Formats: sequence, structure tokens, C-alpha cells
Amino acid sequence: MTQAAATEHHEPVENTSTGLNSRKLMMWAFLASDVMFFGVFIATYLVYRGKSLVGPYPSEILDIPITSVSTFVLLMSSLAMVLGLHYVKAGEKNKATLWILVVVVLGAIFMGFQFYEFRTFAHEGLTPRTNIFGTTFFILTGIHGAHVTIGVIWMAFMAYSSHFGQLRQDNALDLEIAGLYWHFVDIVWIVIFTVIYLISASDGPPLGVGPTIIHG
Amino acid sequence: MANLWHKLTQHDGNGWWNLPHGPSNELNPPFEGPIGGAWFGNLWRTLTHGNVSHAGVGFYWLVGFVLAVITLLEVWLFTLEGLGGWFIPILLFLSVVKFVGVVAYFMHLRFDNRMFTFFFASAMIIGILIFSILLVIMKYGNQPVLF
Repeated sequence: MTQAAATEHHEPVENTSTGLNSRKLMMWAFLASDVMFFGVFIATYLVYRGKSLVGPYPSEILDIPITSVSTFVLLMSSLAMVLGLHYVKAGEKNKATLWILVVVVLGAIFMGFQFYEFRTFAHEGLTPRTNIFGTTFFILTGIHGAHVTIGVIWMAFMAYSSHFGQLRQDNALDLEIAGLYWHFVDIVWIVIFTVIYLISASDGPPLGVGPTIIHG
Repeated sequence: MANLWHKLTQHDGNGWWNLPHGPSNELNPPFEGPIGGAWFGNLWRTLTHGNVSHAGVGFYWLVGFVLAVITLLEVWLFTLEGLGGWFIPILLFLSVVKFVGVVAYFMHLRFDNRMFTFFFASAMIIGILIFSILLVIMKYGNQPVLF
């Protein structure tokens, strides 16, 4: 690639053996490992799906309308993230700060939904120790929630940096790397929402076991 | 046939599954669409005002809108009865579409160096393999291997 061509496309060639930025490559390598990390927990959930001998069962406790709203919130936070990055690269500081703040707010709302869900489940008798559904469900969604929490804190720092002019066009890669993490959290939830919620929502007790009587 | 193969697979043939080259090998060919093809390439150029290396604000909104519609579609399908054996495959398909949409356009893999795509795709393949092996072991693991 010629220097003139590189300048034309605003894509500097990194002075590394791969020609790629090492920090960005590191983030992709981390995400690749996180794929397998989450993959194992999702696989474990599926392996033990429908094997709980006591309730509450997914059909008795999962609230699809509430989770659909939180899924939509997280999806829109990804849109806000990519818009924030676009405006940082364009040098529009105020718009960039605004959209990064939107990411923080939407991420916090998602965390609120998850807290509400966990609290409701606990109130209705489902904890990680109740049955195999509770164990696999809380571990998977809890670890995802921990990722979201880290992402929200990271984005709050990014919004702060953008507001005070420390996040600029020349170091937009900082936000791009944070954005990769945030989008990854979103795509993991896309899988969780489909597999754990929509597909498993009708799972009841195994054959020969009666439904749970929920007190509360 | 050779011409068709060239069109589908070679970069200058605007192959629809070809990812753009990144700075480490060569530039994105000018006027390349996100998934190739003349009509989509034209639409792409209109949406991004000719900026082929990265999408613009309008395109991001469009992708976000499509992802939101797919989510609504998933929830609507959930409320339907009578899909039977089609329910899970359809939901998984829609989930994959959303997954690819976010990875390709929001995470910029479609516009970025291929090595990032190889990294991520390799992890996905290994993850899915581990998952498949785990399911097979759990299903048949308690049975004699040969007799």
C-alpha cells in the first residue's frame, strides 16, 4: 500500500509485524477468548435444560415482556455506542459526549432490569441453590451482568474524557476498543435472549414431576 | 464457470462474501459495497455518500432499526402458536442475523482488516465445536463406546 493511498483513506499503517494496532488486536483476542468463556456457560445451560427436579421452572418464572424491553435497551445502547465513536472520529465533541452518555444510561437501565429480575426470582423462590435451572441461569446471566457493569464504568470514564477534551480524533482508538467490548456484551445477550429466554420459556417440569406451588 | 468463480471469490470480481482488505495488505477497493453486488453497492454508496471504508450515521441508524425490528419479530413469533418444529430454527436464524449485523457493522468487522475477522471467526468455530462435542458426550457418554 502506498503512503498516498493510506493518507487518502485515513487508515495509518501500524509499525507492527502484523500492520495492526496491538491494543486493538489484543481486544479482539480477548473477545475471542470470551466467546469460548460464554460458550461454555451457554452450553452448560443447554446440557442441563429441563433437568430440574424441583421448581420454579422457566415456564413459571421467566418474564418475556420485561426481558424483551431490556434486550431492546441493550441493542439501542450498541447503536448509541457506534454513533458516539463516529462523532469522536468526526471531532464533534458535544455530540460524542452525548451519545457516550446515552450508552452509560442505557447500560445502567439494563442493569436495573437485571437487578429487578434477580430480586423477583429470589422473592419467588429461585436462587442459584434452588435447582439446576437456577444454578445455570444465575451463573450465565450474572457473569453477563458483571460484564455490563464493567462496560458501564468504562463508558462513564469515556464520557468524562470526552467531555473534558481528553478523548479526541487522534486517540479515538481508545473509544473504539471500549466499543468493541460493549458490542460484544450486546451480542452475547442476543444469544442469551434467544436461547435462555425465548426458546426455554415454555420449559416445565420433567415428566412425572408436578408444577411448583409458588408462595408469595 | 471460471468467470463465475472469479466473480464470486476474487476481490476485483466484487465477490459477495469477500471481506475488504485492511491496511496490512491492500486498500479497500473503491466502490465496494458491504456485501458486494451492483445493486447493493449502489445503495451502499448512496447511504454512505460514497465513503466505502466506513459507514455513516444514516447507515448506523438503518442497521439499528433493522435489529430492533428483528427483535420485535422474535417476540412476536414467541407469542404465536402453531410454529411447531420451526420455532427454534427460525429464532436461531434471526438471532444469527442480529449477531452478524452487530459484529459486521457496529464492530466494523466488515470494514476492518481480515485478521480480526479470522480471530473472531476461529473462536466462534472452536466454541461451537466444543459445544457440539459436549452435547454429544452428554447424550451418549454413559453408553459403551463399541459394544
